[in-house]
Amino acid sequence: MSEDRYLTFALGKGRLANKTMELFEKIGITCEEMKDKDSRKLIFVNEELKLRFFLAKGPDVPTYVEYGAADIGVVGKDTIMEENRRVYEVLDLGYGKCRMCVCGPRSAEELLKHHEMIRVASKYPNIAKDYFYNKKHQTVDIIKLNGSVELGPIVQLADVIVDIVETGSTLRENGLEVLEEICPLSARMIVNQVSMQMEPERIKKLITDLRREL
Amino acid sequence: MSRKLVHTPEGVRDIYGDEKAKKTIVEGLLHEIIEGYGYRDIQTPTFEFFDVFSKEVGTTPSKELYKFFDKEGNTLVLRPDFTPSIARCAAKYFMDEDVPIRFCYQGNTFTNTSELQGKLKESTQMGAELVGDASVQADAEMIAMTIEALCHAGLSDFQISVGNLEYFKGICAEAGLDEETELELREYISGKNYFGAEELLERTHVDAKDKELLLKVSELFGNAAIFEEAKKAASNERSRNAIVRLEEVYQVLCDYGVEKYVSFDLGMLSKYNYYTGIIFKGYTYGVGDAIVKGGRYDNLLGRFGKNAPAIGFMIVVDDLLAAMGRQHIAIADNNDIEKIYYNTSNFTEKLEEAKQLRAAGKKVELSHE
Repeated sequence: MSEDRYLTFALGKGRLANKTMELFEKIGITCEEMKDKDSRKLIFVNEELKLRFFLAKGPDVPTYVEYGAADIGVVGKDTIMEENRRVYEVLDLGYGKCRMCVCGPRSAEELLKHHEMIRVASKYPNIAKDYFYNKKHQTVDIIKLNGSVELGPIVQLADVIVDIVETGSTLRENGLEVLEEICPLSARMIVNQVSMQMEPERIKKLITDLRREL
Repeated sequence: MSRKLVHTPEGVRDIYGDEKAKKTIVEGLLHEIIEGYGYRDIQTPTFEFFDVFSKEVGTTPSKELYKFFDKEGNTLVLRPDFTPSIARCAAKYFMDEDVPIRFCYQGNTFTNTSELQGKLKESTQMGAELVGDASVQADAEMIAMTIEALCHAGLSDFQISVGNLEYFKGICAEAGLDEETELELREYISGKNYFGAEELLERTHVDAKDKELLLKVSELFGNAAIFEEAKKAASNERSRNAIVRLEEVYQVLCDYGVEKYVSFDLGMLSKYNYYTGIIFKGYTYGVGDAIVKGGRYDNLLGRFGKNAPAIGFMIVVDDLLAAMGRQHIAIADNNDIEKIYYNTSNFTEKLEEAKQLRAAGKKVELSHE
């Protein structure tokens, strides 16, 4: 509505952010400030187009967007599924492709065929719970871990893990493999509901421009 | 002071001092407008039988309801919203009434949402319901009243987004979607998730033309210009009628002179199952979710035994206040309290003084020196 309002973007830190800025550059959205790697700034501004960018930890991006602290966010599908926030998920950006899988030693494959109780370690307890309860109807005990989830089956903390698989090399090196695929993942663009309703023209144009590039 | 005793449970909080004063004022302002349209206050119980809010009625999911038992073992529920209660009342007390009935209500609602997402489990809602009027004018009255109430409360930068479920339903019926797919698709489209909807439709046997139509729904939002586009897209009668209805509502809203606050969104498909036609939501900066939700629910009263069309809306008062706070909108609170001090010898004089001031409409606090 108001002409001089900044459109704020929250980008998931790391590779995703770089890829996103590359893509944005193709549709004429740039932010020179962000290219300066030594900058200690937290917020980067493009005064001409009235845009602001900030980097955030992946799982926090949907939170910023849900509360309208950012109008638009770019983050992996895994985070969106895990956080389950009320946001519009408007675009599949196509990069950051990987899969959410159930992994474990081959011997664990048998455990997934019955409805017996098993232990599942994951950084994504909500995704794991949804998959086992609602899709497989299997009772599971979910253990939340914060990193190196592959350790779980090795040290016998858990029977299987639910985690992101990109190439599968970490799994193979540790004697684990993909047992079941839950869903494919990639980077997504999410939009705050209020922003979409208050500034439909600006955001619609951005989506159309991006869709053309993809 | 016992450290443990002073805490409130997660999701509820105390509202006091200036904040409560402002809340009362804003509630008063909203109420003035609704009252001005001839709506009469109604008070329903805080808890009701579970069946009033059951899945068939289509309200809040069962796991988000606060449930408990009475002595006879009936399941009771703390109300998650007012509409089913009002519908129940209308059916019970106005069974043979044919003329439109106007209710307005205010009170707290309770939803047991997940922890740590920053959402309150108890929130104050104010709303209105118009029972027994299926007209375009009734639709517009609701929307115009919402706009006027928000303006009167002091909000200026907001949008009321209006949709019509019939448009989407018409296309679904034409495409021959089964109920399960329709529900899933509804979720994607109301989430503006174009590619999710695309992926889902790839898996079904919907023909290419209908697929395109269904996908287009998620993009049909904006100002009144979308009507033409929407009409061109859908050829079935149900969808066309839905657009005609929206155009008529828009016309009446222009008569009210509130069209600048109105936009349209045909992809708006509420998760409340009881809505049947026109639905609307109000958005403003400062809160991430809609502060107003409303719509037509022509079949809900039938569940309680009275066949009557109805339309209603509610404003989430707490969210409205939060938004106004973040937008730095001043709420004029008349908080001038005069203090009069007394001591043991002059109490009667001071009391007389306080009495006179109070009679003159002043706020007076009488305290010991």
